[in-house]
Amino acid sequence: MQSAHYKLVLTLYRVFAIAVLYAVLIGILVYAWIMGFYAVNTSWAAPLILSASDEKSLDFREKLVTSQQTIEDLKVDSDKTGTSLTEMKEHRAALLALAPQLRDAIAREKAHDSKTGPELAELDKEKLSDNAKTQKVLTQLKAVQGNINKDLEAGLITKGDAAQQLSTLNQAQDAYTDSKIAETLLTDSVLDKTTTGTNTLNVLEKQAELQSEVAQLDIAIGVAEKQFHEDTRQIARLREAIATAKQSPYYLNASGGQTLYFAFVPYDNQAHAVVGSSVYDCYLNMVLCRNVGSVKAIFPGEEQVIHPIFKTQIRGFMIQMTLDHGESGKSKTVFLGSKPLWF
Amino acid sequence: MGPILLWLLLVLSLLITVVKYLMGIIMRFSFPATKAKKDYTYEPTVSVIMPCYNEGKTVYATIESIAKSNYPSHKFEVLAQDDCSADDSYEWMKKAQGDFTNIRIRTGRNEVNSGKARSVCNALQHSQAEVIISIDSDCIFDPDAIRELTACFAEPKMGSVGGRVGVRNPKDNIITAIQTLIYYSAFQLYKIPENWTRSVCCISGCLFAIRRELLLEIEPAIRKRNWFGIPVSQGEDRFLTHQTLLRGYGTYINNDALCWTTVPNTLSVLFKQQLRWRRSIVRDFFFTIKTLPQHVWKLHPNTVLTLVLMPLGVLVGLLLVLTALIEDPLSWTGPLPLITALGIGAILTWIVKRYSAREAVAHPLAFGAYVGWSMISSLFLTPLALCTMDSADWGTRAIDPRTTESREVQIGNARG
Repeated sequence: MQSAHYKLVLTLYRVFAIAVLYAVLIGILVYAWIMGFYAVNTSWAAPLILSASDEKSLDFREKLVTSQQTIEDLKVDSDKTGTSLTEMKEHRAALLALAPQLRDAIAREKAHDSKTGPELAELDKEKLSDNAKTQKVLTQLKAVQGNINKDLEAGLITKGDAAQQLSTLNQAQDAYTDSKIAETLLTDSVLDKTTTGTNTLNVLEKQAELQSEVAQLDIAIGVAEKQFHEDTRQIARLREAIATAKQSPYYLNASGGQTLYFAFVPYDNQAHAVVGSSVYDCYLNMVLCRNVGSVKAIFPGEEQVIHPIFKTQIRGFMIQMTLDHGESGKSKTVFLGSKPLWF
Repeated sequence: MGPILLWLLLVLSLLITVVKYLMGIIMRFSFPATKAKKDYTYEPTVSVIMPCYNEGKTVYATIESIAKSNYPSHKFEVLAQDDCSADDSYEWMKKAQGDFTNIRIRTGRNEVNSGKARSVCNALQHSQAEVIISIDSDCIFDPDAIRELTACFAEPKMGSVGGRVGVRNPKDNIITAIQTLIYYSAFQLYKIPENWTRSVCCISGCLFAIRRELLLEIEPAIRKRNWFGIPVSQGEDRFLTHQTLLRGYGTYINNDALCWTTVPNTLSVLFKQQLRWRRSIVRDFFFTIKTLPQHVWKLHPNTVLTLVLMPLGVLVGLLLVLTALIEDPLSWTGPLPLITALGIGAILTWIVKRYSAREAVAHPLAFGAYVGWSMISSLFLTPLALCTMDSADWGTRAIDPRTTESREVQIGNARG
């Protein structure tokens, strides 16, 4: 009884053991084959499914929004700077236009003064001489005044005649005073015409102020232009970055509402990653392959992922695939261009 | 899940291996209790039982080395039993019997191939000695070996004592160099924590001393050993050690009792030997698990831990390699495993050269190859052992297909 029991157990054990050993053997061979296959194959790609909440995609989207906001801010700043620049340039042009007029006026006045100055000086001399003569006459008129008074006292003349005569004498004195005033004013005019006075200095100061204002405007325009160019360059750079970013699978994933299929291609397999080339999905990652779609786009940025078989970190890039069978997006590997083992 | 499992296995492996070796180093130098009290005045009668199968001339050298023992010659005898060798082993035994007349040598020849364990049991029937020393017929023994072994029996609860097995052919090639370092570190470090509680779980069959009455007590169990009706003749040393422990006796390795063995120098022979050992480890593990409550109640926790963890290490090794191959297939190609192995190899090489010049290996960096061997060993040996538990093949020697049944054998030709 025990012998029969042992026999049964032994038979079952041996069948089981043989099955296990063959399974182990087959497992080892398959393992070695898979390792060898992926060591030499250069057409595989590893599909990746990026979810809407993918960390990289969300991060990407956040950065994109920030960049766009920065562009908007820069554009506002740039517009302000541009407007300010235009105004400053117009102001500068107006000031520059005023400068020659001022210069001409100064020159004209100088030319006029140089002509009238000597003439007035001559007239001043003549006036001085005339006044001296008049003064002499007035001295003589004082004696005449005394005679009038004597004649009046003597009754030789009436009071009316005396007043009339004295009034005439007074007019002569008044005319002399006016003449002296005129002489003084003339002297002043000569002085103004022949020497550099405060008026001239005021005009020159105005000219210097004008020039200074122009210089300050030049500096301000330079700074504003630099700022404007910097803003413009920054905007261009950001736009370029956004344009590049838009070529990333993460942007597509973050912005698109539909399911997109991506795959990682190691650099060693780059030759097979061509837009339009077929994508094959295989059973056991290498046999009984079927065409499931094609390569739609190739993204330029470098990616680093873990090798699906060797589990080491590898470098490569991403591609976008158009898949007729969405399930293939979940496969461990797909093959680009052709079937890896021709069946 | 994968990485967690991998780390768990790594931690377990470290516990089983590195921690055990570290404990060995610490205990060797700090725990006097790891060394048994030896009484060299205690000189019991000894029977050296030497089963032999297809050893050829080597058996002559083995007997010669025993004949040179400094143990009192009237206190010991050699029982040499040929287990139906297909070569001239028996003739060499007879020649040794004729040449070394200073000691009592008895030779016999089995009628059918019976295996080592049963040959020892059969020879036991012809012995009256107090201590039985079972030896391998391809080993050379140090003159002090018998004295060193018997001196340890001064401890009344000492049941079995083993000696240290050194390698005779360390310079043959890389394979023997690796084995030399492993043997040396196993005896000098790995087994030290087991010595501490007198609970060595496997005393090598190359040099195995046991009290006669204890062996007689265990003998029926040895004879009854079978696997679903198939007699088990492999791993008798592990079985005997385990049985000694279960009967409440202590087991101990005396590193001063030396013998020298020739280790396999080809991968195929090494693989077969390791497969045989692996089977006995697995078998012993199943036995331990089956009778775990008995172990827990009877044995020292350190003994239970060793009996469970050591065989578990074999399974952990398999799982570790499998997990590594699946989770990180190229991990073993990194520089770390190689540098670690080379570092360990260099240190062990220096230690062996310093303390046992006879075993100095020619290529210190050969231990790097142990990384490769460990993988093969872990990956293939355990599944193969688990699936060939019904095999009675010794592996390293051809078995005569005509002789498969065990029969009582006679020791004859007594001299002296």
